[in-house]
Amino acid sequence: MLALATTKASFSAFPVGESSLLKLSTDPTLPAPLRPLRSFVITDASVPTGFQAYIGFEGRTPMDGLPPGSSTIVLPEEFSYLADGDVLRIIPAKTTVRVLYRRRSRQNFALVTERCNNYCLMCSQPPKPTDDSWLVDELLQLLPLIDRETREITFTGGEPTLLGDRFLTILRECSSWLPDTAIHILSNGRTFSNAAFTEKYAEIRHRDIMVGIPLYSDLSHRHDYVVQADGAFDETIRGILNLKRLRQRVEIRVVLHRQTVDRLPELAHFIARNLRFVDQVALMGLEMTGFTRANLQTLWIDPYDYRELLREAVEILDSAHVQVKIYNHQLCVLHRTLWRFARKSISDWKNEYLAECSDCAAREQCGGFFTSAKLRYSDHIEAVRAAEPVLA
Amino acid sequence: MTKFALASTFEESLRSGYRLLPFRFAELDADRYVATNLAGEYVLLPREELRSFVFGKLDYGSSLYDTLKSRHFLIDDDSDVALDLLALKVRTKAHRLADFTGLHMFVATLRCEHSCPYCQVSRRSDDRIAFDMSLATADKALDLVFRSPSPSLKIEFQGGESMLNFELVRHVVREARRINRIQRRNLAFVIATNLALATDEILAFCRDNDVLISTSLDGPADLHNANRPRPGRDSHERTVRGIQRARAIVGRDKVSALMTTTVASLFRARDIIDEYIGLEFNGIFLRPLSPYGFAVKTKSYAAYDADEWLNFYFDGLDYILELNRAGYRFVEHYASLILTKMLTPFDTGYVDLRSPAGIGIGAIVYNYDGDVYASDEGRMLAEMGDKTFRLGNVHDDSWEQIMTSEALLDPLERSFAGSVPMCSECAFEPYCGADPVFHYATQGDVVGHKPTSRFCARNMAIFRHLIKLMEHDDTRRILLSWVRA
Amino acid sequence: MTHDPNEGPDEDIRVEFSSSVYSLDSVKRAAYAFTGRYAFDIRTEGDEIICIATGLGVQDGDSAAFIKCFRNAVLDQDLRESIASQTADVRNVILAHAFSKTGLQSD
Repeated sequence: MLALATTKASFSAFPVGESSLLKLSTDPTLPAPLRPLRSFVITDASVPTGFQAYIGFEGRTPMDGLPPGSSTIVLPEEFSYLADGDVLRIIPAKTTVRVLYRRRSRQNFALVTERCNNYCLMCSQPPKPTDDSWLVDELLQLLPLIDRETREITFTGGEPTLLGDRFLTILRECSSWLPDTAIHILSNGRTFSNAAFTEKYAEIRHRDIMVGIPLYSDLSHRHDYVVQADGAFDETIRGILNLKRLRQRVEIRVVLHRQTVDRLPELAHFIARNLRFVDQVALMGLEMTGFTRANLQTLWIDPYDYRELLREAVEILDSAHVQVKIYNHQLCVLHRTLWRFARKSISDWKNEYLAECSDCAAREQCGGFFTSAKLRYSDHIEAVRAAEPVLA
Repeated sequence: MTKFALASTFEESLRSGYRLLPFRFAELDADRYVATNLAGEYVLLPREELRSFVFGKLDYGSSLYDTLKSRHFLIDDDSDVALDLLALKVRTKAHRLADFTGLHMFVATLRCEHSCPYCQVSRRSDDRIAFDMSLATADKALDLVFRSPSPSLKIEFQGGESMLNFELVRHVVREARRINRIQRRNLAFVIATNLALATDEILAFCRDNDVLISTSLDGPADLHNANRPRPGRDSHERTVRGIQRARAIVGRDKVSALMTTTVASLFRARDIIDEYIGLEFNGIFLRPLSPYGFAVKTKSYAAYDADEWLNFYFDGLDYILELNRAGYRFVEHYASLILTKMLTPFDTGYVDLRSPAGIGIGAIVYNYDGDVYASDEGRMLAEMGDKTFRLGNVHDDSWEQIMTSEALLDPLERSFAGSVPMCSECAFEPYCGADPVFHYATQGDVVGHKPTSRFCARNMAIFRHLIKLMEHDDTRRILLSWVRA
Repeated sequence: MTHDPNEGPDEDIRVEFSSSVYSLDSVKRAAYAFTGRYAFDIRTEGDEIICIATGLGVQDGDSAAFIKCFRNAVLDQDLRESIASQTADVRNVILAHAFSKTGLQSD
């Protein structure tokens, strides 16, 4: 699990009170005009001049070869993973540094707000009703600093669309600064039940954008219970319909737990008959963070115990030619016929493996566990024997 | 401490009761009914529960309540998005109507060297040049073809034996492609032929111009030859040879076969299927006997009744399912079409199971002499002396005159299943169709008398049978795999 | 039991329905389904709707079974009337929405 923030940074020669974003470089031959716009990560004794600041790691980096008066930051040793192109938020007055963006990360999440109009039993980012518009300000500052070769960025929350027009601004600026980057939005879809908002969204005409919208049941009262909001089901479905009417890409996401697996085949059937035109369906394993811990009794079910329901649901969707992907499930708890739908998807700063996994023939293919999974594991984790064929 | 509401909180709005959404029902077996909603989705339930449901007595906690809510048979105060979804599904099912005529049949010639007892056209010998379609007629017909707004147009050559007038086929294919350079539709060609006269040159033309081959294969040699007499009595041999040659030259996926059922076929379902398997076809369409043409003249239609054919069909279907269970993929195409209507939001392109009927607005026939017919069966009736379904002539009438003629509009309107006795209240109506020509031919009017209609009895038996088969897991998986994308 | 409406005996069968419970329409619609094997004479006498079914001689059948089936068929038609009256309005709403220009597009 990577450290992403610290309050133990040592700043030297930084204007106090100023908070800013720093883009890192490890390139000693960076052309001179660009150096004032970058902070150099020191790796050995040779220190190129002209950079806006210099970054070192405690106990590792000799900081004495620097020109006098240079702005420097010394970070705890666990930040030594930082690399070229990464972006930091620094708050010298609070000796705080946050890593906002890592170029090498396969998944980039941008938190847009913590406000939400749902209150899901298993929410991994519990809502806060405070005014956090500074997140948007920071994001708009960050976008130009992100490497334009980034494959995809995911906007998440809370509920991003609660920002209304400001959210659309984020999307437009993302499209401007990162024209080749795909956008994924995690949203409950309810705001899209407003046709006018959906039209404005569609007018952005981004070349590769998709909204991931959770749907937890074929029954309104069960879905509303899981998301703890009356009327959410109707708004969510209308949102999906509005988006598809304007030919926008939509993914339906289902988090699998005890309140959603019992009617999973029925939900699959419902999607196949009513929402067949969605671009894909993502079936997700439960994350043991946020509200899940508080609701564990209500939510926990050993994934091995719902493997048949999951298989039936996937068969229904697959027969209907709906694209299905399974995320955050270890291969050993899945029915073998479902392996071809499984995707290795746990963010690289969250995943781990168990002792049982050391001999597993399918380990390369398997996503492993969330670090947070320590709270509760399936009783059926076991290594796949090498003699058994591992499906590509 | 964050507070979470219980599931029961979200069920409070269910306490005030539910309202019915439109649905129909029919008996499935001694104990149960099939109920179908506006979009043709079905639910099975016992009679008493059906009555409780209609009279408002169903409990919101029960699993039947959940099923009926999920599948849009009821609505409660908690949610009304069901109305949007049903509207969307109804629209999706009806979507193809707006495309209008997709299948255009050209009768290249009436001449044929076979003399099949069930044939829908009269026997003509080789030297009656008067019975070939002229190029002038073909050109007029093509004008009409492209008047249809359909994005996909399929031109099918029929006869007689259309290869006896292959010049016409060549001409139509070339001309159609020329016109299509501007029109840019999805254009497809099929030639229905017994392959007895398929030369290498003809097959090469088909290959080079993407003309699919559809041939007749009634079963093993003895059956096929008895059905399809020709001088030399070697129809089967020629057909098999023709199939292999056509596959070699045109392409293995470009050759399909259709069977015709006669009295002789009725006890040979498995033999016929084996014949198709032996020739490596991946499916078969088990067809009913047509009541037209020589079938009626030679009384072979009257010779069997609906039950015998159903036994034949169910025996064949059983056998095919056995094969599938053992791992051999083979599809029964009629079931596949019906399952697509039952299990998906879509309708199929199949013109014979449509309401409003597929006559004219789904498929249309341009006869060798330029007469336009609402369907191939309408043409067959004309050959028997009854021109009720003649819509006009390509040389005399415009597209508008043909498509708005009383001869077309009247049967379309009167046979519409949504408004005729029994069909209008039938649970199976979403899977079925109106067949005005069949009912006119067998019962004297386009609506027919459904209690004695063979079309109705046959289809209802099949719908019930398939629904019951769907209740067994392994069979359901096979049937699901037959559903068309 | 599903009675094939197209089987019946030769002699007349009399079945009565209370007109305070069943509509004439229900009885007629139910009878229609059996007209392959029976001819029906339907009349009202006071509070009763009287159906006289005459076999068309096409096939042998069990008249007790026919009566049972026919009664159930009338009950079913009554149920259909109830469904139709409860759902007529919402059916029009759905169909109007389905075929309106400003409704959801399916392509």
